[in-house]
Amino acid sequence: MKLSKLLLTTAAAALAVTGVSVSAFSADREVKIAGFGAKSGVVRSFGVNTEAVMKAAVKHINDKGGIKLGDGTMGKLTASFDDDRCNAEEGISVLRRIASTDAVVAVGPTCSNVAEPLFGILQKKVDDASDSGLQMPIFTDTAIKGGLAKISQWAFRNVPNETVMYQTMFKWLMGKHPGIKTIYGGVEEDFAHSRFTWYKVMKVRSAEAGYDVKGESKWLLNDTNFTTQVREMKKAKPDAIAISAHPFTTCGVLKEMQRQRVKPKLLIGLTSSSSLETLNGCAKQAEGIIIPTSFAPVTDDARAAAAATAEMGGSADLHSAAAWEIVLILADVMEKQGIMAKPDTLQADRRKIRDGLASLKSTAGLLGKIKRTEEGEATKPYLYVHAKTGEWAVLHDPSQQ
Amino acid sequence: MDFYYGLLQIIGMHTILGLSAYIVLLTGQVTLAQAGFFAIGAYIAGMLTVLAGWHLVPSMLVAAVVSGTVACLVGFPALRIKGLMLVVATMAFGEAVRLFWFNFDYQRSKGEALVGPLGGEGFKQIRYFPENGWTTGEVATFVWIWVALIMAALWWIDRSRAGAVLRAVGEDELAAQSVGINLTAVKVTAFAVGGFIAGIGGAIYAHYTTHIEHSNFGVILATFAIAYPILGGLTNVVGTLLAVIFIQGFLVEGLRFLGDWRNLLFGALIVLAMNVRPRGLIDERAMLFLRRMFGLAKRGTNA
Amino acid sequence: MDLVDFVQSITDGLLFGATYALIGIGFTMIFGVMHKINLAYAATSIAGAYVSWAVGTLLPLPALVTFVVAAIGGGIVGYLVYLCCFKFIPVTSPLATLLGTVGMLILIDEIIVHETNGMPQPYPALFDDVYFEIGEFYGIRGDLLFIFFLSLIATAILLYILYRTKLGIATRAVAQQPVAAQLCGISIERTNASTFVITGLLGGLAGAMIGASVGVLSPLLTLPITIKGLIVTVIGGLGSIPGAIIAGLLVGAFENFFQALRGVTERDMYVMLLLFAFLTFRPGGIFSKTTSRD
Repeated sequence: MKLSKLLLTTAAAALAVTGVSVSAFSADREVKIAGFGAKSGVVRSFGVNTEAVMKAAVKHINDKGGIKLGDGTMGKLTASFDDDRCNAEEGISVLRRIASTDAVVAVGPTCSNVAEPLFGILQKKVDDASDSGLQMPIFTDTAIKGGLAKISQWAFRNVPNETVMYQTMFKWLMGKHPGIKTIYGGVEEDFAHSRFTWYKVMKVRSAEAGYDVKGESKWLLNDTNFTTQVREMKKAKPDAIAISAHPFTTCGVLKEMQRQRVKPKLLIGLTSSSSLETLNGCAKQAEGIIIPTSFAPVTDDARAAAAATAEMGGSADLHSAAAWEIVLILADVMEKQGIMAKPDTLQADRRKIRDGLASLKSTAGLLGKIKRTEEGEATKPYLYVHAKTGEWAVLHDPSQQ
Repeated sequence: MDFYYGLLQIIGMHTILGLSAYIVLLTGQVTLAQAGFFAIGAYIAGMLTVLAGWHLVPSMLVAAVVSGTVACLVGFPALRIKGLMLVVATMAFGEAVRLFWFNFDYQRSKGEALVGPLGGEGFKQIRYFPENGWTTGEVATFVWIWVALIMAALWWIDRSRAGAVLRAVGEDELAAQSVGINLTAVKVTAFAVGGFIAGIGGAIYAHYTTHIEHSNFGVILATFAIAYPILGGLTNVVGTLLAVIFIQGFLVEGLRFLGDWRNLLFGALIVLAMNVRPRGLIDERAMLFLRRMFGLAKRGTNA
Repeated sequence: MDLVDFVQSITDGLLFGATYALIGIGFTMIFGVMHKINLAYAATSIAGAYVSWAVGTLLPLPALVTFVVAAIGGGIVGYLVYLCCFKFIPVTSPLATLLGTVGMLILIDEIIVHETNGMPQPYPALFDDVYFEIGEFYGIRGDLLFIFFLSLIATAILLYILYRTKLGIATRAVAQQPVAAQLCGISIERTNASTFVITGLLGGLAGAMIGASVGVLSPLLTLPITIKGLIVTVIGGLGSIPGAIIAGLLVGAFENFFQALRGVTERDMYVMLLLFAFLTFRPGGIFSKTTSRD
């Protein structure tokens, strides 16, 4: 009996594997965008929010009539979303799956440790016949670790440029609080993004702005005890403390700082912390933390996007809101390039989208104009926000000077 | 089609990882060190193809020899203990290897960019396959040649006297010792062979993902390495392959249409599988059944 | 780095080690009674803490009640783990049990992630505003001191149950001689189940203490605690409760000491080295007798 069950399971497994959706093109010309990112594990909120934002943005475009295709007919935009578990292998597998469907472009992933390998399997230079890498345009909304899009000419990102943001923010802070001279760092040492941001961005840029960097204390992604690290901070007696870590340890450190009564005159955080998680975990201790971010509901467009996302059950933050811009940019590029959205034009459509994205010099964004670089990265408008009574409030808008 | 080739690659390299634990499990030892050997294979092979510009096959072999040697060296002290102590000791070793790569920097400039492993930020641009124009299908074939070689070798070992010795140690150490089997030699050999196989798997992994970092080789991966043979059953190598198809093909990729339920079902189905088939998917009874079917068919053709 | 710093980091580590000790006791007890590893144990602890967090979001509870709810939650989850991974899997398949508990670990983690979207959740603490300052830079955390003493009390209660009650005698009897115990009319199944409930209660409390000491709960906690708990179990000697307590404190102090000395990236390597040293020179753990057991 048991054996038949086993055979059944195997058969079911085989069926499920082979039964990947190879849905045919429907009559009313659908243009498919495939989203992917983490929807399991500790970063699940990334995927949940991005999915909601994408759905909201797709609805927004379809409500306006959809996309005008190359032959003048109107196409409807559709979006799917797959989970990659924030795992490199699975991310690659998901992208190959997307490439095997009729999706014209992929949006994702959420994790830098997936984005980096993923861009590696793409063709490095377009039209390089000797490079057998995948030819599929990817537009990334969340994975933020610096300088990844240059890995492939098929990869594009719409993530904030941390270097620029921290550079100007430190300069601004220097002007605003001339009494604050010294800075000390706290870094989550084993996570690629936070590590990169402290050593290559915050540390360098604050020194450039004239701060005296007193050093840094380090901890690991899933550490629980921060007494030693906070004591190091206390001993350095810095005027300002910059924390480059993700919400879980950021909160742990902030709570320990409260216990040991470490009260810097300025507290600076990592871009990724300007989402709901930090305030959810430790609103009281995070009070006053200043973070540069590429999203806040300050313009009409941004407010509308945030409201539409909330309707879909997600929250628009600096990561997910980028997906809104991405969908709008893609819709624009598709119309300009005149994609056909027919089965036999699939690869040509993908190529058109890539070329369209590569030729963009600037795009519209929720906070204003976004500049695009040669390498496929974005330079997004940004704001400085700070935590105020349990919410993010805008502290300063550098574009309004 | 590329997607299926990609999936075949994943199944292939996880099968190799599972088989590296299979041979150790045969001797009755539960090891959580395989992720460590996998990491050694990945980093060494990656460094050889990217920094030294070697061809992939010799790089893989060197990587496998290195991790096999490390396994042999670790095996001597580690295999004096058994049971839970060995589980924890091998886990600690695996973690130590991961932490080693976490602290390891060795970069050289290649063109305009710096390449090579860089501690916490990982080792990027291991693009041997696309740079040399290998298609996904060719890579899948390449991976499966290795899988076939390793499976055949293990199958042959299983059927030979060596296999009987391994299983004897696994079933009853005392009895095995009393018929003159050198326990340490047997266990350390199995451990070294396991390390060698895991090194090959790791080398493939590094070139599959093109970017590796220490966090890829944690305890979770080590747990999966033993999960495949345990779930598949220790009767023969096919069980491991079947378990990999079950986990990577069915639970991870096949259940994707279930959306959020997939994540929840993953753990639940492993629990269920172990309750329903505690001796693994392919146990002795299943083999007996298959053999009888096979035997009957044979008799039929003979008649 | 001077002497005062050393003393300070060792004190911090010792206090935090109390939570490792609690987890270690759970692992070691289950191993002592059933001779099996329950890899889902640390997940059970964190699940208990999450249960109390969930109850706390529905109706506001004082911190102390939250901890009690966490212990009860841990007990319930512990029993569920027993049902799913131990009750129906035959004793002759230890590997199946091992893998079953891994599945359970993944399942518990994923349920938590599903319910909270993986976001860190605030967790209440007692005495977290108390900080005994000694000089300008040194001091002792009031909440860790509380956790330390609570762990001692919990252990004392556990030892009382084990050595002074009928249930405890039955548990120890099964641990030492299952067949003889059965002949004396002790139900092995019931004893095993009660072991899981008792260790679950203890684990839930440990999870709550860990949550309280960090101030936030996250599914990120389960894996490192599993690893630390296993290391503590082995250093303490399998099945030895006093050994687990001392080993927990030792590991806590040791890792903090090396963190202060060599930095956080190398810290865990030294913990592994400590483990290797024990495995080589004292494979039976801290309180090993001359004859070592399996």
